Amino acid sequence: MSIQVNLHKTHRQHTGGLETVDVDGRTVGECLRDLVNRYPGMGAVLFHSGGKLHHLIEIYLNMESAYPDELKKPVQDGDEIHITVMLAGG
Amino acid sequence: MLTIAELERYDRQILLEEIGPAGQEKLRRAKVFICGAGGLGSPAALYLAAAGIGAVKIIDHDRVSLSNLNRQILHGESDVDRFKVDSARDCLNRLNPHVTIETCTATVTPDNAAGLVAGSDVIIDALDNLDTRSILNKAAMNLCIPLIHGAVNGFEGRVLTILPGRSACLRCMHAGPSALPGKFPIIGVTPAVIGAIQATEAIKLLLGIGDLLLDRLIVYDGLRLRWTEFKVKLNPDCDHCGHLQQKERP
Repeated sequence: MSIQVNLHKTHRQHTGGLETVDVDGRTVGECLRDLVNRYPGMGAVLFHSGGKLHHLIEIYLNMESAYPDELKKPVQDGDEIHITVMLAGG
Repeated sequence: MLTIAELERYDRQILLEEIGPAGQEKLRRAKVFICGAGGLGSPAALYLAAAGIGAVKIIDHDRVSLSNLNRQILHGESDVDRFKVDSARDCLNRLNPHVTIETCTATVTPDNAAGLVAGSDVIIDALDNLDTRSILNKAAMNLCIPLIHGAVNGFEGRVLTILPGRSACLRCMHAGPSALPGKFPIIGVTPAVIGAIQATEAIKLLLGIGDLLLDRLIVYDGLRLRWTEFKVKLNPDCDHCGHLQQKERP
């Protein structure tokens, strides 16, 4: 299984500047855990201490919102995940 | 009926087959609520006033500060310390005296939101924080008023148009308010792009033309000049618009 994760600009500092990372997993949650295993700095960015996604994080699977229950969404080989952040400014 | 002066003022857009004199009349009868007289509210208000929207109601609780002026083009240096809605009114009146400008110096709260937006044909979300956006979203859904969401940070921005009960609202795609640092980095050209798109969406919506950004969140990356479009969807369990979705179902 190879799932491509596209990282938001503000998160790339935790992946050595990489914009995309290939990960493994059967669900979005497993893919993000694999991402964190490879790049531990992403852990605090994505998750609360309880393991839930931060409210400001948005997950899109194959260009479609994965909300709600993002982490439970199943993925298939070749799928693409985008991680973005809510914007507040105006 | 449009006056001779108005026919001349709007001549170039009346030439558009999608607008014409009848469309211009529609714009003149429209009332737009702009929530925020800052970075997004400035271009949105200017272009809507220039287009001949009949009535613009603009709300902001804040006063103009020097650090606003890199992006909030409704205001100039001589407006520093004035209420933003006052300088906004003066600026818009100078641009187009045919537009009725209503102003309100207030903070949007759960108690006053519905009263503020009531009677509007469309709402422009030009806010600078997520908590108030959530309040505005709920009021728009409760009163079934279309909402055009915009938000910016740095060189990045996003737009989503919401028809209550028919397309995903902000709550459909987000768990709720979250605290963010109050001071965000921004270059003025980003809200210029996003606010102009919000105004475009408002004009299209009021005229019933074109394709709206319904269930389509567009994300703008100014550094790479790239747009990404994400599909968002109605959440049947949404506590802001779920009741409207049930009404829409056969």
